[in-house]
Amino acid sequence: MMRILVIEDERKTAAFLNKGLSESGFIVDTEGNGEEGLFLALSKDYDLIILDVMLPDRDGWSILSALRRAGKQMPVLFLTARDTVRDRVKGLESGADDYLIKPFAFSELLARVRILLRRAPIRHNESLQIADLEIEFERQKATRSGSRLDLTSKEFALLSLLMRRAGEILSRTMIAEQVWDINFDSDTNIIDVAIRRLRSKVDDPFEKKLIHTVRGVGYVFEDR
Amino acid sequence: MLIFASGFLYWVLLTTLEKEDEHFLQSRVRVLEKILQEQPERTTILEREIAEENAGFAGQYRTYSRILSESGQIFYEVPGMNQEIPPAAFPDPNEQAGKTKKWQSATNRTYLLIATWSDDGATPQPRRQIQVALDETGEEVLIRKYERYLMGVLLAGILASAIIGIVTARRGMKPLADIAQAAERITASHMQERMDATQWPSELVLLAQAFDGMLDRLEDSFNRLSQFSADLAHELRTPINNLRGEAEVALSRPREAEEYREILASSLEEYSRLSHMTDNLLFLAKADAEQAGVTFLPLDAPAEIGKIITFYEAVAAEQNVRMVCEGDGTVNADPVLFRRAISNLLSNALCYTPSGGKITFSIHLINGKGTEIICSDTGSGIAQEHLSKIFDRFYRIKPSQAMQAEGAGLGLAIVKSIVSLHGGDITAQSVVGEGTSMRLFFPTKALSSPT
Repeated sequence: MMRILVIEDERKTAAFLNKGLSESGFIVDTEGNGEEGLFLALSKDYDLIILDVMLPDRDGWSILSALRRAGKQMPVLFLTARDTVRDRVKGLESGADDYLIKPFAFSELLARVRILLRRAPIRHNESLQIADLEIEFERQKATRSGSRLDLTSKEFALLSLLMRRAGEILSRTMIAEQVWDINFDSDTNIIDVAIRRLRSKVDDPFEKKLIHTVRGVGYVFEDR
Repeated sequence: MLIFASGFLYWVLLTTLEKEDEHFLQSRVRVLEKILQEQPERTTILEREIAEENAGFAGQYRTYSRILSESGQIFYEVPGMNQEIPPAAFPDPNEQAGKTKKWQSATNRTYLLIATWSDDGATPQPRRQIQVALDETGEEVLIRKYERYLMGVLLAGILASAIIGIVTARRGMKPLADIAQAAERITASHMQERMDATQWPSELVLLAQAFDGMLDRLEDSFNRLSQFSADLAHELRTPINNLRGEAEVALSRPREAEEYREILASSLEEYSRLSHMTDNLLFLAKADAEQAGVTFLPLDAPAEIGKIITFYEAVAAEQNVRMVCEGDGTVNADPVLFRRAISNLLSNALCYTPSGGKITFSIHLINGKGTEIICSDTGSGIAQEHLSKIFDRFYRIKPSQAMQAEGAGLGLAIVKSIVSLHGGDITAQSVVGEGTSMRLFFPTKALSSPT
């Protein structure tokens, strides 16, 4: 079991992080005070720390540098409301491993936490088979129930992402970033259209549905 | 200046008079000396000479002369001189021969005195002391009078120049006072005050015009800001109202888990819409304050645009709209901001282009100046009255389209902000029924990025 420490003074944010992360299988401690948080981080062994930049008693940067000085090398994920480039640079220079800008989607945070903990269930196989859908990454070939699916290259990339991350909910932002390299806040409606078109080829002709919508969150590929 | 001038005149007058009197006395002394040397025994000539010098001065003598022996015995003098000016009043001829001295008599008259020896003792004649006095009382009175006049003129001059100065300054400053008054009258609710510089002196017209120009711009941004706040409040009200209503209804009685799930999911959609909007507003606010970090890189324009076109492929295919990119060239821009601008443009064009339409990006290099990117569609076009406002925040041509597209009403405002951050500009042209084209210009030499 992985242990995560959340240092966040906003009560509701801390509460939903605790709940969401616990339900995703992590052991979570939350702390609203910077000094207390630093003490906890130094005295216990955590696998990851989620740290708010703006704390009432001391800011996230100084906590991070104190941690690194003490020789603690666990990954740190910054939460910040300030998304200026300067802050990003400062965050990454001071030894933060990643950052998220508030407001963020929880699915986004979960994905980043998994990546930081190197637990992301990314499958680097040559090919994958889930239910009756088979995909060969190298050959850009997907077949379902033995018949080849006619996909555009981006549709293939989208299906690949969904299958590699099967069982994991992917947010629209994340899909846009991974498939189209769109790393700004874009019209997320586009992802819905892309998924709809992919479904019309992958799911619509078949009885069993594999691509599922998680309303308000994103999409998941799953053999239910 | 006035004081200096009158002081100088006064000093010139005084010294001239004094010099003249001194010269007169010295020449008197020389005449008497000469008579004494040439005819020492003939006192009658001397007497006549002395008497003559006062001819025409009835009663009051103007000059007094006296001849003394070496021992100080009075040899000859003008009658009555002894009472008026005793010999001792004169300067000592041994020490101050030929030097003049001012002296006040008991009768309160002012004399200029001179005393000298008739010769240096080398000639055989006995030495005689010559004393001559000049009555300066008249002159003194004249000078006092002159002083009084001078003071009077000086005071009047100073007073007059002060008054003239104040009046002139007041008159010269009046336009400035007008500006100050106008500036005081300007408040948030009273922004239409202007200078009206028509009757002003030419050197102040420019100032007044600059002032009016500043007020125009201020009023414009102020109006836009208050419009923006009003729009923002309106934009926020709708999703907040939905959220609140849904939650209230949901809590009003116990429900199935599936229903709750449905309500929460619906709220989540509203939340992400709100968060999307705050992101965009924050971006615009930072772009306005020029705080958005811009990293200038030479970008391969067709490649970047192609990437965005790929992103919109699915949507365009659904709408049966073709997208093409023509031309070649690099653009000096921040990659993330550039993609965002192109994405917003394309999203906007897709909204207005009907099935079977076409959206074209064309890239033109303008020699040495920069890169021009034109996005033209075969859409419904934008009426002239809307064209100037499409870059305003929350501006929507059809109010009904309000909430359907995410970020609607901010997309083009963001494009404009991005282009401005790069030191470029954006213009729109449209023919109703034929289509719209947006021209973005990115200069080669971009403004230095704020650090």
